[in-house]
Amino acid sequence: MTSNTGQKKIPTSRVSRGAVVGKAMLKIGITSGTGAVKRAFMSKENKELSKSETHAEIAKVIIDSLGTLKGISVKIAQQIALGLPFLPQEYLDEISKSFNSIPPINKALIRKIVKQELGDYPQNIFDTFDNKAFGAASLGQVHRATKEKKELAVKVQYPGISTSIDSDLSVIKFGLSRFAKGQDIDHLMDEVTKRLTEEVDYELEAQNTKYYEDNLNHELIVIPTIVEELSTKTVLSSTFLDGNSFKAFLNSNPSQEVRNHYAQLIFDSFFIGLYRLKMIHADPNPGNFIFMADNMLGMIDFGCVKRVDSEFLKGFSKLHVLLMDNASDEEVTEQYAELDMVDCGEMEEMLTFYRSAIKPLDRIYIEIFAQEKYDFKENNDFSERGFNTIMDVQKNQRHAVHKMNADYIFIDRTLLGYYNMFEKMEATIDTRFAQSLIRGEV
Amino acid sequence: MKVTQSAKEKTKAKILEEAVNLIIEKGFKSASMREIAKNAGISNPTIYNYFPTKEKILYAYVEQKHKETAQILQEIEDFNTYTLREQLQTLIETELELYLEDREFIMQISDMVFQSGGLKLNALYDSNTLFRDMVADILSIAIEAEEIPNPPFEEHLPRLFWDYYIMVVAYWVKDDSEMFENTTQFIDHSLGVIEALLQSSILNRANDLGMFLFKTHFLSALERFSVKKSGFTKIKRKFGEVFNDK
Repeated sequence: MTSNTGQKKIPTSRVSRGAVVGKAMLKIGITSGTGAVKRAFMSKENKELSKSETHAEIAKVIIDSLGTLKGISVKIAQQIALGLPFLPQEYLDEISKSFNSIPPINKALIRKIVKQELGDYPQNIFDTFDNKAFGAASLGQVHRATKEKKELAVKVQYPGISTSIDSDLSVIKFGLSRFAKGQDIDHLMDEVTKRLTEEVDYELEAQNTKYYEDNLNHELIVIPTIVEELSTKTVLSSTFLDGNSFKAFLNSNPSQEVRNHYAQLIFDSFFIGLYRLKMIHADPNPGNFIFMADNMLGMIDFGCVKRVDSEFLKGFSKLHVLLMDNASDEEVTEQYAELDMVDCGEMEEMLTFYRSAIKPLDRIYIEIFAQEKYDFKENNDFSERGFNTIMDVQKNQRHAVHKMNADYIFIDRTLLGYYNMFEKMEATIDTRFAQSLIRGEV
Repeated sequence: MKVTQSAKEKTKAKILEEAVNLIIEKGFKSASMREIAKNAGISNPTIYNYFPTKEKILYAYVEQKHKETAQILQEIEDFNTYTLREQLQTLIETELELYLEDREFIMQISDMVFQSGGLKLNALYDSNTLFRDMVADILSIAIEAEEIPNPPFEEHLPRLFWDYYIMVVAYWVKDDSEMFENTTQFIDHSLGVIEALLQSSILNRANDLGMFLFKTHFLSALERFSVKKSGFTKIKRKFGEVFNDK
């Protein structure tokens, strides 16, 4: 009875939601203006500081108004952190603060939603139904239940989430356009909108889960089975996977061998998804993995997936082969141009752009594949270096933003998320299988 | 002819059902008692044994829904583990859920209450005893369990809650969002506010302030300015009723 008490009332109607959006925009305008005035009277080093202060202020204003809008915004924040690596640090800090504040669905609401979606009260539909959620996921929460001796996980979505996506995104877009310095971020916003719209659609998630279950065919990876007759657009029932969370797994002090085993499974499953299923599990949240008995790995939450087409994959592979084989900058640059990440033009210009904006990044990414094995215990600063490089590039390159291929970014950001997990696991991974997939050998 | 109690209940239910159907079809004004009786398969005079006026049918309908709600709430095994807010929310959501199949009928009543003035909201209070009793129970249990501090005017809270509930129904009637999800959110958040109010000591503090102002300023002001003594005592008695209830 404690968590709901301080909860602010969420504006419900479109009008009032719009009013909040408008208010946020007004505030941003003011803050930025102040920064500009201050800057006019400042020395160079002070200017840098002031800029970062303004950024932090703006970030706070935006996140504050997101807090009022709640719900969907938390997920948007995650998506943006995932999809827009050029964002200033202050921004990401504010965003990550808001991660854990999805509005709770209380017992009365659970009852109502289940009745509305599945036709009867939980007590009549399930043999047992635990009113207390055991996890939060995809803009809702997950409850344990049993039916016909099967252990189930029932995911329930907060009502009205899907209708508020558009107005929530317009705030974010406005805020982001300030950082993109007038450049085009539409394609990235489109990507985020698409991901989110998909994520709130549990029917789609059910399909994705089923697709993974039917096609992954890995003897050590378990995908939950969807119970179709107990699933709708906003309620998703599947078999419950019993095991340790990432944190519990680490706390259990697993041997090096076991840690390597799981990191390897996660790493390989990513590339199997990418190359064989042409669909990756694009949410590298450690909570999406269950460390089960008998060395099995459970993968859950297919709300955020990324489909790739063969053509992109071909370009992506070719690029990685070039990078792995230490090809010349010219060859690599041409391939980036092919992927639309470098503007076509004079080679000299293209090279300069590549070397300043992209090369520092791909040097880091390709480090993993330089040898057969990569030890994340030794290189436990990998994701940090990756992140800092992204920041450096962003600082120096004003026009890097608009040419980032969204597919490419999603894949790299997801991998970076996985690598961050491997660092915490202090695991060593064997990259040979992934390399052979990239080279098209298996 | 001797009519047993259960047969009587059955007939009453039948009349209610047919009345709702006919009113949805024809509107409250145009639906005649004669036709309702005919549809329910009873004679025209007999219907007046059950419902002397058409309005009484409305009240009986509302009462019936309260009964069904009470029944459903009783069937929730772990209802005692619900928080105060969850219990109140379940109460309201269940009522609305029962209204759903007769939504058009509710819309008509709502129109009569809020638009045309054809129905006095006060009249409906007579039919809400059960609702108020349920709320009173839920509240007193929460107070006893020390979930909330003892609120001032505890006896009046169920009635206030009924007023809130009427507001929810009025909102629901106008709600055109998908699956009435706006109403769901409205209920969720407004009950959050009510819960916060009941849990805090704001009500008590406001009451203290009110009492202070009343005793120190209002009473003496009244005494000074009041010319008609009888009028004054009348007012005093009226306020006294409220305040003594505490």
